[in-house]
Amino acid sequence: MKSAGRFNYRYIILIAGLVIMVFPMIYMVTSSLRPNNQTFTYPPKIFPKLSEITFENYAYVLVRQNFFMYLKNTLIVAVMSTFLSALLSSMLAYCISRHRFPGRNLLFGTIITIMLIPGLAMLVPQFELAVAFKLINKLWGVILFYTAWTIPFSTFLIKGYIDGIPKELDEAIYMDGGSILTVFFRVIIPMASPSLAAVSVFNFLYPFEELGWSQTILKIDAKRTLPVAITQFFQAHNRTDWGYVFAMTCLAMIPVIVIYLLLQKYFVSGLSTGAIKM
Amino acid sequence: MVRADRNIRNKSIYAVKNKMYLLLLLVPGLAVLVLFTFYPIIKMTVMSFFNWKIGFSQTSEFVGLKNYIDVFTDPIARTALVNTLYYALITVPAQMALGLLAALLIYGIKKFSLSFRLLYYLPVITSWVVVALLFRYIFSNQGLLNYIITDVLHISDKPVGWLSTRWPALTATTILGIWKGIGWNMVVFLAALQAIPLELFEAASIDGANSAQRFFYVTLPCIKGTILFALVMLFIGAFNTFTPINVITGGNPAHQTEVVLTWMYFQTFGTVGKMGYSAALSVIISLIVSVIAVILFRVIKPENSGGRL
Amino acid sequence: MKILTRFLAALLLLALLLSIAGCGGQSSLPSATDKPPTETAGKKDENKDSSKKPVEIEFWHNYDAGAGQIDVLNELIAEFEKENPDIKVNHLYLEWSALRNNVFTGASTGELPDVLRGDIGFVPQFQSLDILYEMSSLPDYKDVAAQIMEAPNSTAKMGDKFYGIASNTNTKILFYNKKMLADAGLSVPKTLDEMWECAEKLSNSKTIGFVEAWTGVWNIGQYIWSYGGDVMAPDNSTATGYINGPVSVAVVQKLADLYKKKALSGPTLDPGALGDTDGWAAGVYAMEIDGPWRYTMAQAANIDIGAVQMPPGPAGSIGVLGGEDFMLFKTSDDEHREAAWKFIKFMVGKKAQVAMAKVGQMPVNKEAMSDPEALEAMPLLPIFEEALKTARSRPVTPKWSDIENIIATKVAEAITGQKDVQKALDEAAAEIDSLLASD
Repeated sequence: MKSAGRFNYRYIILIAGLVIMVFPMIYMVTSSLRPNNQTFTYPPKIFPKLSEITFENYAYVLVRQNFFMYLKNTLIVAVMSTFLSALLSSMLAYCISRHRFPGRNLLFGTIITIMLIPGLAMLVPQFELAVAFKLINKLWGVILFYTAWTIPFSTFLIKGYIDGIPKELDEAIYMDGGSILTVFFRVIIPMASPSLAAVSVFNFLYPFEELGWSQTILKIDAKRTLPVAITQFFQAHNRTDWGYVFAMTCLAMIPVIVIYLLLQKYFVSGLSTGAIKM
Repeated sequence: MVRADRNIRNKSIYAVKNKMYLLLLLVPGLAVLVLFTFYPIIKMTVMSFFNWKIGFSQTSEFVGLKNYIDVFTDPIARTALVNTLYYALITVPAQMALGLLAALLIYGIKKFSLSFRLLYYLPVITSWVVVALLFRYIFSNQGLLNYIITDVLHISDKPVGWLSTRWPALTATTILGIWKGIGWNMVVFLAALQAIPLELFEAASIDGANSAQRFFYVTLPCIKGTILFALVMLFIGAFNTFTPINVITGGNPAHQTEVVLTWMYFQTFGTVGKMGYSAALSVIISLIVSVIAVILFRVIKPENSGGRL
Repeated sequence: MKILTRFLAALLLLALLLSIAGCGGQSSLPSATDKPPTETAGKKDENKDSSKKPVEIEFWHNYDAGAGQIDVLNELIAEFEKENPDIKVNHLYLEWSALRNNVFTGASTGELPDVLRGDIGFVPQFQSLDILYEMSSLPDYKDVAAQIMEAPNSTAKMGDKFYGIASNTNTKILFYNKKMLADAGLSVPKTLDEMWECAEKLSNSKTIGFVEAWTGVWNIGQYIWSYGGDVMAPDNSTATGYINGPVSVAVVQKLADLYKKKALSGPTLDPGALGDTDGWAAGVYAMEIDGPWRYTMAQAANIDIGAVQMPPGPAGSIGVLGGEDFMLFKTSDDEHREAAWKFIKFMVGKKAQVAMAKVGQMPVNKEAMSDPEALEAMPLLPIFEEALKTARSRPVTPKWSDIENIIATKVAEAITGQKDVQKALDEAAAEIDSLLASD
């Protein structure tokens, strides 16, 4: 009986919270189904009348706005930077966690410090680099920088996770004459994969969100990622077509939700040890 | 003798090989870090001591600490810093408390756990620009909230200027920050809760602890490390706030609602030739965040470094 | 390992998504331009008969796609390339702030276009980075400039040199919501004083009489000038006695009073206020002094909008000059600069100017200004032409954008009542003078 009572109140609070959490999202979805000029009308309407519902915004975004091209660009950036970041971070994390080498503590300290510095602050020197390496208007220009920005946090989390993997496993490999590479690929990568999955979710979502840098680097339409494409609809001296903005945002969320659903289990378990072992 | 010799040689070859491998593992990551973050940070620090000119044909002049003095004597920089601290001090604890609450609730249910986790996480994965626009619309003079107050509930016949002046506008922004951050905290705390051994709860129950006691004497100490982690990450996040302010108030009126990053962005792109000032400002912000991080580490260091939490 | 397989499966799924997206994407690739360094192998066949590869020039602009200006631009470029088979124009649209930011970030590395068409306010900003090419050093600049109205072209003049040439111009006139004025039984104001009164009468709990999008000289300069004052000394040497002079103080005080009575608003004064375009569309704002785009936007939002020249003050009706200029950069080599200059000459020629007028760009070419086709496309052209006769350019001086930022901040502080008007403007004058004294 007691457990039934507790059962209920938890759901009640959660559902009440849910209303607040998803209300703006619902508003976003309903707005995307409304004619473009009726988004921010006064008095406000949250739900459009059935007769008002239109898929014109979606049609416009999908057909006229090369949505799939932007999606493709974003996914390329997301997959590449997530992969690179996971690989390089786990390599660094493994070295820092398991091996002694000169400057090890300094390196780890620096990595933590970098996490603290706002990325936007380095815009100008980073842009100079991008120009020097001829990365302007190339997806690589975004991929490499995203990788560099996500490495510190990823290394930090994965290192915490590797610290918790028993060293006996490494030793067994060494006994068999394996090298540190063998340990890395046979023990560390499989054992630390929950933390890799966890940071990968974060890193994968980043290109769907980041705007400042991608806007600076990707100036041509054929290379634009979704956030840049969405902000194209906001124009200084012009009317913003809210219906298009919301339709594109709703569409852009689909791959993100898919990834979250696929990896969320590992997301949670990977964070647990990694985050706790500060 | 011969055998031992070979053994040593083998061992040293082995050690050399392993050193090579270590290098192989370190170098790619290091290269990316050095090139794309270390170098810009150093460059930025150098710039902060110059009257930095961005034109390719212009020469920059060394000005010593002038940029730092400019930042410290600039009333708007001070406003921006105070606003950032206000944003951090409200959003960080509120997000954590609500996120932890959501995690505790979801931890205790069996059905629909995944659905709740996804729905609570949705705000985290929505674009900042778009949710900031939605919040601006909700709080604007002709927005949803004023509509409810004036035309639905008839509490007042005049719309309230939620975004019109400094503190209410900043508070509206913090609500957005909290709303968007709950999901992240929920996931992190859920991870921590799942790592707590069930025996601890059982033992506490046997000792007659009620649920509040279990929370304070078992749960809280066990997730101390996660709280520290979340605190540091959220403080960093709060100091990185840019889009919500930029979209909701644009720093207006008269830069009263500026936060450090929007002010820095304005000095970089909204003016000409304040590059040195911006660099000095970002060095100062980085130092402040580092100091806060160090203090947090000192104050709540998880005491049990060995063993499992 | 199971996790890894799952992870790989996710990546695989993505790859699949990518390939699907790829098919969708490729077929609808836009005619976006690419950077010059890319190989032009594909283009070789087209130019078989021309002995050398065409010179590719890069052109950055912010022509408005929504108004159909990009389509017109594409047609114009095609025509220009036909006339000049040895030149290829790669154009790139960048939104106003992106345009400026990209020049700023590119300034340090020389990653700049050959031609840029951007806000007249960019000329002094870019010149202060020492990246603009002095256009008046071109031998035929004078002849080309002679076809162009003098006032708009003065926006590219610094000292006695020209660092650009006018592309299109505008100034601001009074727009009013006809229905709101009629409902309140008001007639169109004849003087600025009447306009303020009118704004008060048009304001109630749901509507606001007057909207200002910003508080810079772009917005308040016209009032200070029309009441007989000025923002800076004629030689731009000081602001003291001008921006904090009696006329400026009276104008800002008037605006502060209106703001207090909720008869004046705008998002830079009150972040909760609707932006001017959204506010017009929602029927909240009744009047605004604004440029030609206001007319097009009001029509798009089905607002019955009226327009007259800005009502005069004691010193007349002195509006502020807006518009865009073409600029060349020091980074181009002679070959590219020559091609770019040819392109500019084409764009300020009568034909291109009339074509652009049809999609809302007010011409600077004297002949185009009176062209019947242009007049037909822009019914307000005569009003603007009249207003342009007395319109003034904001000071064209290297530190102008910083000066205007100071003014915008201090005026906003004064209007929103954070500071006493005189005190705020005194501070503005002191800050501007110390800025002018530095370096």
